[in-house]
Amino acid sequence: MNLLIGSLTIGFILSVLALGVYVSFRVFAVADITTDGSLTLGAATAAVLLVRGTPPGLATLAAAAAAAAAGTVTGVLATRFRIPSLLAGILVMTALYSVNLRVMARSNIPLLSVPSLAEVAGRAGERLSGGARSVGVLGWEVAVRDLAMLGGAFLVAVAVAALLYAFFRTNLGTAMRATGNNAQMVRALGVDTDRTTVAGLALANGLVGLSGALLAQYQGFADVQMGIGMVVWGLASVIIGEALVRSSRLGLALAGTVLGCVLFRLLIALALRWGLDPNDLKLVTAAFVFAALVLPRLLERSARRKKVSGA
Amino acid sequence: MLEVRDVEKTFHPGTADEVCALRGVTLSVPDGSFVVVIGTNGSGKSTLLNAVAGTFLPDAGSIRLDGEDVTRWPEDRRARKVGRVFQGPFSGTAPTMTIAENLALAARRGKARGLGPALTRGLRREIRERVAALGMGLEDRLENEIGTLSGGQRQALTLLMATWVKPRLLLLDEHTAALDPKTAEQVIRLTKTAVEEGRLTTLMVTHSMAQAVHFGDRLVMMHRGKVIHEVAGEEKRGLRPEDLLARFEEVRRSDRLDAAAAGLLRSFYV
Ligand SMILES: Nc1ncnc2c1ncn2[C@@H]1O[C@H](COP(=O)(O)OP(=O)(O)O)[C@@H](O)[C@H]1O
Ligand SMILES: [Mg+2]
Repeated sequence: MNLLIGSLTIGFILSVLALGVYVSFRVFAVADITTDGSLTLGAATAAVLLVRGTPPGLATLAAAAAAAAAGTVTGVLATRFRIPSLLAGILVMTALYSVNLRVMARSNIPLLSVPSLAEVAGRAGERLSGGARSVGVLGWEVAVRDLAMLGGAFLVAVAVAALLYAFFRTNLGTAMRATGNNAQMVRALGVDTDRTTVAGLALANGLVGLSGALLAQYQGFADVQMGIGMVVWGLASVIIGEALVRSSRLGLALAGTVLGCVLFRLLIALALRWGLDPNDLKLVTAAFVFAALVLPRLLERSARRKKVSGA
Repeated sequence: MLEVRDVEKTFHPGTADEVCALRGVTLSVPDGSFVVVIGTNGSGKSTLLNAVAGTFLPDAGSIRLDGEDVTRWPEDRRARKVGRVFQGPFSGTAPTMTIAENLALAARRGKARGLGPALTRGLRREIRERVAALGMGLEDRLENEIGTLSGGQRQALTLLMATWVKPRLLLLDEHTAALDPKTAEQVIRLTKTAVEEGRLTTLMVTHSMAQAVHFGDRLVMMHRGKVIHEVAGEEKRGLRPEDLLARFEEVRRSDRLDAAAAGLLRSFYV
């Protein structure tokens, strides 16, 4: 049960990252590797501020802003300087590795003894439960603090998805979606696509940084390595989400991304429990994304071949 | 009023792919007039329209629109004044967004885009009315993705989008060329209505002899990046397809157009 609650909590926290990847990958059709660096940047910024006694909410917002700035740099490289977006992302991700070490001043910052959102959630949970430290859930004894963090992560994920949904239906938001859809057309309708692209990558990375800040507070530490492979994690979530909802409608796609991320986290937790070596995790994730990208095409081709030979 | 003066454009200069697409084009479209452009494939018609719309900046020459020098303006800024319909039905719409969302994007052409809702109730009602006026039955499918529509339906909607906010200049680039004859007829009729009702200043490239003869108050013939002939006034009003063919012949004889190109023109328009 604790494993389940932990997995769900991380799933919801990472779904904020997955929503960010949805924005860059699906809305703007950019595989944005900045993600790997900006997740860490978010975690690092939050950690450093928390250690200095900044209120947790403020530290988390600052983390998102820092990561959004990183996304802005990628966007400017890709538009103003016409560097291919993949390369722009690689450059910024690489630069961020140094930046993150500078921000943290070491490779790992423990957060267990400083006030953080995890503590805020824990206290709120104890107030709700009337002071009890644990409650029974389906016959299992569960720490109220863990349940509260799950609830908090769930609320954040739902709030972020809802805000994104609302934003993408505004004038600016529809112009951003149209930029990824048909840039030529939106320019002809008076939209500066360079600006919408920069704004979109800033938004995407801001969400990734927010996710990193939450993850650091939940885990109780920030680590300079924690971003490695996270863009692939986000892609996997987006792809699973699409398979779940089977629709490109905005609302369903966003909901699917959150569900996809949580489901993927649960599957990984099960796999780890069944003996998957944690060292193989990134390999498995990458292989999964590869399969998810290629299999539909192969299936389609074989279906077509069958149709042809059947006819 | 559009004034294009001595505009030149070379693609990939100094490379093996160098193409001199516009070699000093001068053209003016007075307010309220309708100019039709014809010419062989590759003669620079689309490039001319792109230069006016600001898809790229010209190498030389100037472009004035509506009393302002827009030569160095980026495309999105010129879009305040210019409405466009492209040749390909896929170029003018955002395929995975709904019909209503596409039109909402067009309804803000040239205006600031902030955090207000893209589709207000009032705009939805207006969209429904104006889409219904196209007579294609699309008003009940406003929530469908525009990518699921046929080419003709998308061109009709792109035309509506280009003219939703009245443009100072409407650019049409062979916008019926990719459609079957019946649909092309329907779209050209909608074009006529939109241009006449809005008294739009229009620059239209066409592939169709019939359109070249029946539309517009001036005809411009392009060849190899230059305007080589113009027909205006009475002469244009009385123009018949045969006259146009004779013009091609004349141009060939006057040696501004070599025999091969005239043959090409013929095979194109006959
Ligand atoms: N973006 C571009 N890059 C390179 N060459 C181009 C580009 N656009 C047009 N051209 C070239 O310029 C010439 C004129 O093309 P275009 O204006 O499209 O002709 P038309 O519309 O009259 O058929 C052609 O040789 C074409 O290949
Ligand atoms: Mg053309």
